[in-house]
Amino acid sequence: MRMTIAVAVLLALLPLGLPPYAMTLLTEALIMALFAMSLDLMVGYARLISFGHAAAYGLGAYTCGNILLHTDIPLPFAVLMAGVFSGVVAIGVAWVCTLATGVSFSMLTLAFGQLLYAVAFKWTSVTGASDGLAGIPRTKGPFGTAFFGTKTGFYYLTMACLFGSFLFARAVVRSPFGAVLRGIRENEAKTLSLGYNTRLYKIAVVAMSYMLGGLAGALYAPFAGFANTELLFWLLSGQVLIMVIVGGTGTLVGPILGAVFFLLVQQQLSTYTDSWALVFGAIFILFVLFVPDGIMGLARRRRAH
Amino acid sequence: MPLLELRGLTKRYGGILAVDQVTMSVEPGEVRAVIGPNGAGKTSLFHLITGVVKATEGDVLFDGQRVTAMPAFGRCQLGMSRTFQITALFPEMSARENTSLAAQARDKQRWRPLGGGSVFAEAQRRGDAALERLGLTHVADRPAGLLSHGDQRLLEVAMALAQQPRLLLMDEPTQGLSVEETAQAVDVLAGLFASSDLTVLLVEHDMEVVFRLARKITVLHRGAVIADGDPEAVKADATVQSAYLGGYV
Repeated sequence: MRMTIAVAVLLALLPLGLPPYAMTLLTEALIMALFAMSLDLMVGYARLISFGHAAAYGLGAYTCGNILLHTDIPLPFAVLMAGVFSGVVAIGVAWVCTLATGVSFSMLTLAFGQLLYAVAFKWTSVTGASDGLAGIPRTKGPFGTAFFGTKTGFYYLTMACLFGSFLFARAVVRSPFGAVLRGIRENEAKTLSLGYNTRLYKIAVVAMSYMLGGLAGALYAPFAGFANTELLFWLLSGQVLIMVIVGGTGTLVGPILGAVFFLLVQQQLSTYTDSWALVFGAIFILFVLFVPDGIMGLARRRRAH
Repeated sequence: MPLLELRGLTKRYGGILAVDQVTMSVEPGEVRAVIGPNGAGKTSLFHLITGVVKATEGDVLFDGQRVTAMPAFGRCQLGMSRTFQITALFPEMSARENTSLAAQARDKQRWRPLGGGSVFAEAQRRGDAALERLGLTHVADRPAGLLSHGDQRLLEVAMALAQQPRLLLMDEPTQGLSVEETAQAVDVLAGLFASSDLTVLLVEHDMEVVFRLARKITVLHRGAVIADGDPEAVKADATVQSAYLGGYV
């Protein structure tokens, strides 16, 4: 808890000293961090590997974009509503996906992601098809304040979402519900035979994961001012899974670091070469081979020494 | 009224009749063993009782309630706890976390997603009591996967006990144990059954184990019941002897 507060204070003070472009990068990093952390809930704690987590992100982004474009609902509320919506949709998605287990489950999540991607291309009135939604505004409020629309204000809103989600996710994984998730991760058949309706637990954790992932997407829409089909594409699903693995699954903090690391590498390398993904791919392979427990695993081993 | 009652229970896999019109019952406080040679349908019968597979025909009644169509976790919630033929644990969790998670399944707030300190405290209290009854307190903090095979088998029993079951179902409790380990495990189990009024149904093919633990025996052969009664009567039964000698056709 002390660590969490220290990091929060540090992040809260950063806007005082950072140039605007760095603030933009940092805000994006925090959004990605929230996205990666949301995936860790299902991947790291219930071993439910999703290859389609972009569905959560894209759903959040398009929902929030539409709310902001068509209503006067204050920005923070629009973001929250889009996250909740994403979580509600996930109940249906998870209901179908949990009919399968293991690789088949992962394939179904991928299929759902690509299904939404295809829908986004055709449903012009809601998604703007291949043009996407452009000019997404940062609405005023609550109480008429324009603060959350400013660069600094939006950064604080993102930070609040990340920390709120982190505290929520951490409470969940430490709760009785979280203990059952660990049981499912280690031996689902046994968990079922103890009298837990494991499928309901899995549906619930997928819904939570999508809700927080949707929250991240919902922040991205007003951050970038647009939403397009790329936010639903499998490439993003793959990238966020890589962030989780590089950061360290089942740690919540690890994927946050993984996302920041990913964005930093992308930012630094893309100024030199278009093939930055190649380098990151190599880094990913090295992590999987030599540091399977990710950045958090490295940190833990250092502490143990 | 019997705690568990099977009426004409039948399971067919395609053309194979795995369980054939089995009718039997387990009275409260009884320790009963289902025995039979390999392929007699013991495990299939066990699956039908626990709800892992669905019956083709017939009924399973638990405490007078028909549970034939109820899923496995539902039957468990009614008070059936089971152990597996091949040890099933949470290997990376400590022994204490294993029993605690088992006990938590009996808590109305087992699904609570936030807070829950009281749920954990109660579950751990019950889990620790179960560990103590099986003499596992000294390994409580060790990861379950690192325990000796004998202790792992007993830990599984402790997990079932932590649920304070009304019916304890055991699938070959000494499966895979050495002669020495088997003797130790049987001692612990015999002590446990003697000191409690647990109702137990166990499936076992090791006759020595059966005659030490069970007060009642049901004999299966080719999916059907061929004998039922006290150990002495079953031992003397001619059909049973010929079935075990392989002469029963």
